Amino acid sequence: MRAGNLFWKRLKPYRIRLALLLAVVGPGIITANVDNDAGGITTYSVAGAHYGYALLWMMPLVAIALIIVQEMSARLGVVTGKGLADLIRESFGVRATAVLIALLVFANLANTVSEFAGVAASMEIFGVSKYISVPLAAILVWFLILKADYRTVERVFLIASAIYLSYIASGVLAHPQWDDVWQGLTTPTFLPESGFIIMFITIIGTTIAPWMQFYQQSSIVDKGIAVKNYRYEVVDVIVGSLFAVVVATFIMIACAGTLYREGITVQSAKDAALALGPLAGKYAQALFAFGLLNASLFSAAILPLSTAYLVCEAFGWEASLHREINEVKIFFAIYTTLIILGAGIILTPIKSLIQAMLASQTLNGILLPVILIVMLILINNSRLMGEHRNHTGLNIIAWLTVIILISLTLALVVFSVFPV
Amino acid sequence: MPYISKLIGRPVADIDGDTIGKLNDLLANYQGEIPHPKIVALEVKKGHSIITVSIEDVTVLIAPAVALNKKHADLENYEPRPDDLYLVRDVLDKQIIDTNGVRVVRVNDLELARVDAEIYVANVDISGAGLLRRLGLNARGYRIGKTAGRRALPGSISWDDIELISGDQPMRLKVPSEKFTELHPADLAEILSDLSRQEGQEFLGSLDLETLADTLEEVEPDFQASLVAGMSNELVADVLEEMEPDEAADLLGELPEDRSQELLELMQDEEAEDVRKLLTFPEDSAGGIMTTEFVDVAATLTAEEVLQVLREKGKDVETIYYIYVTDQQNQLNGVFSLRELVLANPSALVSEFMEKRVITVNLDDTQDDCAQAISKYDLIAVPVIDDERKLHGIVTADDALDKIIPTAWKKRLPHLYH
Repeated sequence: MRAGNLFWKRLKPYRIRLALLLAVVGPGIITANVDNDAGGITTYSVAGAHYGYALLWMMPLVAIALIIVQEMSARLGVVTGKGLADLIRESFGVRATAVLIALLVFANLANTVSEFAGVAASMEIFGVSKYISVPLAAILVWFLILKADYRTVERVFLIASAIYLSYIASGVLAHPQWDDVWQGLTTPTFLPESGFIIMFITIIGTTIAPWMQFYQQSSIVDKGIAVKNYRYEVVDVIVGSLFAVVVATFIMIACAGTLYREGITVQSAKDAALALGPLAGKYAQALFAFGLLNASLFSAAILPLSTAYLVCEAFGWEASLHREINEVKIFFAIYTTLIILGAGIILTPIKSLIQAMLASQTLNGILLPVILIVMLILINNSRLMGEHRNHTGLNIIAWLTVIILISLTLALVVFSVFPV
Repeated sequence: MPYISKLIGRPVADIDGDTIGKLNDLLANYQGEIPHPKIVALEVKKGHSIITVSIEDVTVLIAPAVALNKKHADLENYEPRPDDLYLVRDVLDKQIIDTNGVRVVRVNDLELARVDAEIYVANVDISGAGLLRRLGLNARGYRIGKTAGRRALPGSISWDDIELISGDQPMRLKVPSEKFTELHPADLAEILSDLSRQEGQEFLGSLDLETLADTLEEVEPDFQASLVAGMSNELVADVLEEMEPDEAADLLGELPEDRSQELLELMQDEEAEDVRKLLTFPEDSAGGIMTTEFVDVAATLTAEEVLQVLREKGKDVETIYYIYVTDQQNQLNGVFSLRELVLANPSALVSEFMEKRVITVNLDDTQDDCAQAISKYDLIAVPVIDDERKLHGIVTADDALDKIIPTAWKKRLPHLYH
């Protein structure tokens, strides 16, 4: 017994570190999983189905960009102890805040629409009309956040997210030509046509969604992580980001191996579900539907919530789930309106749910450079960050990402005016 | 009264009429006992260069263009003092504590006032109208603001009712605990629940020990635990000694085992004894919610002597409204109220006017039992005894009710998502 105790005691510093790591883990992993929402799954599926392995080379680069952006947002949160909207208001004043928040609300609304589109699409696989599934989902989501314990909801969501691993399995079981995969991963292909550019921006926009930066920073501030424990949070961020991108990559590979090979384009969720065929056979559709539904519902709950919080944070309105509704009128109104509009727009006659989901992610990609510039200004402010501000190397990479993104958006505008 | 948002950006011209830059910020500081800070300097920006000009060099500040009384070349750079407050950089758009309304609000604008020849910061504008003004939607905004803000928060708070949340500033202003010690701990707890975790820590750091303990008692144990996580063990031990033993026991119960042990060892033996004892009882039993701080006397004392005892011990106990009568073996034999004590003849013996039939609860009775006893017999507190009728502590009405009624008012961990 004594020897055992001694051994346990010697492990203490490692136990402490592990405990700290586990305590801190959360925001990064959760945000990463939320990354693979309706818009994400759709984007990666379409990318794989329509372009095969040609876009794979993007993924490692996007992973790096994602890690960089998430790390900056985490660092901002840990060092300042404030949310991103709070920082924007304090550093840029009311006018800039109003413009940024307006853009963000618009983008978040589009994303919420996309989530409800995901609900509709997934339930259509089971033959349930969107006129039934969407209103039900809207009511469920509304109640869920107001009445349920958020932590439980989060845990259920995370466990259900294990479904994404099925994409990895499916990707392998589709027996792709691994040479082709490697080729795709290492050879940059770039077609100067608007469809390709749009897909490019969309992939970036869905992996590094602006709203995720706000959500993650708030989550981190919530947890109250001390600056000295920051390195554990970095691990959380990196692991989360890598997981998200790995899953995304395998969604692409799976779709490339099944749909692209057969020349099937993704017009509806049913088509996308075929990508899980190698793994699940006739259960592919159900599996896909369940995964999509899980992702859509959870994101449909937190998007409006996160938006309501950040608007109230920026303008100094009371925001809390624990107060009486008439004390937090504006907070409540924003949350409810986003759900109603998000669900409502989906209920209008839309030709393609898939297109709706893709469009919202493209919007993210267009808005992203603006948010990145804001974050870069904040993170280089020595009054705010002290010794934790950016190193020059990091700044260079980050600014490079911004420039690439802005050029792409400009190219897109040019190409839409002068079609190629 | 002029608003700072209107002044910022105006051109600053020297005595020759040459524009030397735009007004970028105003520096203010407290003069003597006046609770409103006075403008002491201006920050003028031209391109990338910034010069700070003392207010002495300004002819008129509140005008379409700020006029100086010296030539550009003759201006001396004002050396900012460490406690000078930069109004735009440190106050505008930041969150502050409104000690009057007991809440945390955001500064949308600042109202200045001219008294004699000097400009002071009069009020803080936190209204929606203020937001609209900042966005430049003036007259229209004013009307919209008035109708929308009808039943909303009052628009302006006087500067002497607010307290800055430090954080960004290198130095705090006045001694903050002045305003805070006047507030009820429940109000302080309310403010605390509106602050972020970091801000909350600093807020608590500015309170004196007694106020800190009282404020902590007003929040839920899990919130308490997260707040003390950042404090040194010595400080926490001091706070625990200040707190009521049952509250201290609750808090210790929430902390990790080893820290809990360390803290108990740091505490004074007497206090630690009480708390350790309370910790041995299950949380939801009478033993778990009782306090050991009550008054007990022997039956042989006179009313006069009991009053003497009260004067000595009265300050340290939970309540003096009920006085319990115990014998040498600490067995509970009777009880009487303060009213009965005061109305009794000073030379009457306790045994004569005490109530022999005492309503009690047992150590392992549930909280529900305590609440029922208290409400059935209209008690303020109920004594807790063991099987041998020895008195261990009392459960006060507020503690019993606390556990039964959903603690909507007891401040909970402020959280967005968790």
